[in-house]
Amino acid sequence: MSDATQFYLSTLLIYLFIDIMGVLGLNLQFGVAGIINFAYIVFVAVGAYTAAVLSLGPDYPDNFQHYVFGASLPFPLPIIAAGATSGLLSLVVGVISLRRLRSDYQAMVMLVLSLIATLVASNATWLVNGPAGLATVPPPLFDQLGLAQLDYQWVYAAWAGVLTVLTYLFVRGITRSPLGRTLRAMRDNDRAAAALGKGITALRLMVFVIGGVIAGVSGAVFVEFIGAWSPGSWLYPETFVFLAAILVGGVANNWGVMVGTLLVPVGFLEATRFLPPILYPGFVEAMQWVCVGLLILLFLWFRPQGLFPEQPGRFAPRPQASTRTPP
Amino acid sequence: MEKTQPILSASDVHRAFGGVKAVDGATFTALRGRVTGLIGPNGAGKSTLMGIVAGAIPADAGHIEFDGADITGLPPHQIARRGLIRTFQLSAEFSKLTVLENLLVAAPAQKGESLLGAELGRLYWGRDEDALVARAREVLDRFAMSPKENELAGNLSGGQKRLLEIMRALMARPKLLLLDEPFAGVNPTLAREIEQYLLDLRDEGLSMIMVEHELGVVERLCDPVVVMAQGKVIGEGSMREVTARQEVLDAYLIG
Repeated sequence: MSDATQFYLSTLLIYLFIDIMGVLGLNLQFGVAGIINFAYIVFVAVGAYTAAVLSLGPDYPDNFQHYVFGASLPFPLPIIAAGATSGLLSLVVGVISLRRLRSDYQAMVMLVLSLIATLVASNATWLVNGPAGLATVPPPLFDQLGLAQLDYQWVYAAWAGVLTVLTYLFVRGITRSPLGRTLRAMRDNDRAAAALGKGITALRLMVFVIGGVIAGVSGAVFVEFIGAWSPGSWLYPETFVFLAAILVGGVANNWGVMVGTLLVPVGFLEATRFLPPILYPGFVEAMQWVCVGLLILLFLWFRPQGLFPEQPGRFAPRPQASTRTPP
Repeated sequence: MEKTQPILSASDVHRAFGGVKAVDGATFTALRGRVTGLIGPNGAGKSTLMGIVAGAIPADAGHIEFDGADITGLPPHQIARRGLIRTFQLSAEFSKLTVLENLLVAAPAQKGESLLGAELGRLYWGRDEDALVARAREVLDRFAMSPKENELAGNLSGGQKRLLEIMRALMARPKLLLLDEPFAGVNPTLAREIEQYLLDLRDEGLSMIMVEHELGVVERLCDPVVVMAQGKVIGEGSMREVTARQEVLDAYLIG
């Protein structure tokens, strides 16, 4: 395999792992617990910014970019801090929006939050360098490992893979347990769940924060790989790409949404990249958004359960006591 | 002796929606080990009062005492954890969960329901879960719903959903069961079955409050009966006593 192909494949693999992490977090919120978080990408972005500024080193007057909280923390502290920051932000947002509002209003709040966050990051240039964003984020342990660029990419893909597996195991721990069942019950009818003694607000907050942490970590792993992050990377439609992956793959089905990730953000968006430039520059990109929207509509209309429907709990069959024949 | 103790008492409960006084100074008690019927014409405030008792609707004024403790103003899940379990007027099944799962959700304080417990895995919560599955299957057997064990609750008929709600409530080990029109939209055959189940539960000593329109059922199941009209309790006593009173008849005839 040529080096160029290997570069491409390893990059794609890293994207796939990062997107899977993100989608697993959103699926826990949306698919399992029924929280409509249209601001999910904001929590990815906050994780990415956190990891970036904590890896870039302190800001200085002649720097070509300006940001707050600059530091050069050793790997993997920026990633941990990214998860913590996004989790904390989720807690704050959750306490404000998840307690009293009905879910359709929660969805509106989240959408607005996503728009506000982009505007703030673009206009408050002292915060994370405005629309130009942050660049030259150093790849973690690059000097220490002393690998060639291509080998480093494969190692990074393996590292992203490890984090993805850990994320999957953690999420599965929830979805397979009685806790996951209670969350799905809350999603189907929150009033009835509350009437059975389930603390709806606390459960929602918990899931919202867990999803936020996962989003933050995925953003951090992304920015440490690609080295740059700007408001253009996390416009609100990005959340809908994740949602499309969930709806295509299968709501509340962990394996389903992973297949959905392979199909939508990676497969579909990557394949259309090879289309010849037609009509005018940017046309293909614009059509991508249109197609993601159409994909969501088509699945909601024709196959709302997705390619791999939610799996209800399986239980050991009843012990066969009465079928024994007398001696 | 213990049987005549009140398990729930509501005193001078008020609730207005805008200018409409849905509940306007209602006072009543439900006795331990009895089925208390709550009847009255449409718009009498029965469902609102039940919502207040269960914590789903905040009261403007008044007090609710349950099992010897003041539960006024507590959120629904905390009231439920004390053993006051309600069913809903409209079906409230967890539609994408199986019938068995619906029952399992209702079990209180499950080991695998906390985040840590869940992550510790089956080794930690498996035994607890197996015991719950066995108990849920006993409940399913009792209500002749075992064949539907693995059916998604959303696919059940209207009547079966009512039955599911009663089974689910029982899984929560209630001290007081609050039934909001358990026969609404149920075919007559299944309604008779549900009535028999409720009679059995009553004879086993389960305390219940039942909101119901069909007076025949109320007469067979409930004693005492509480009559509401226009947000107020206008009569309390046995069915024979309350139906003998002129204001009760007026309320039903005139509305």
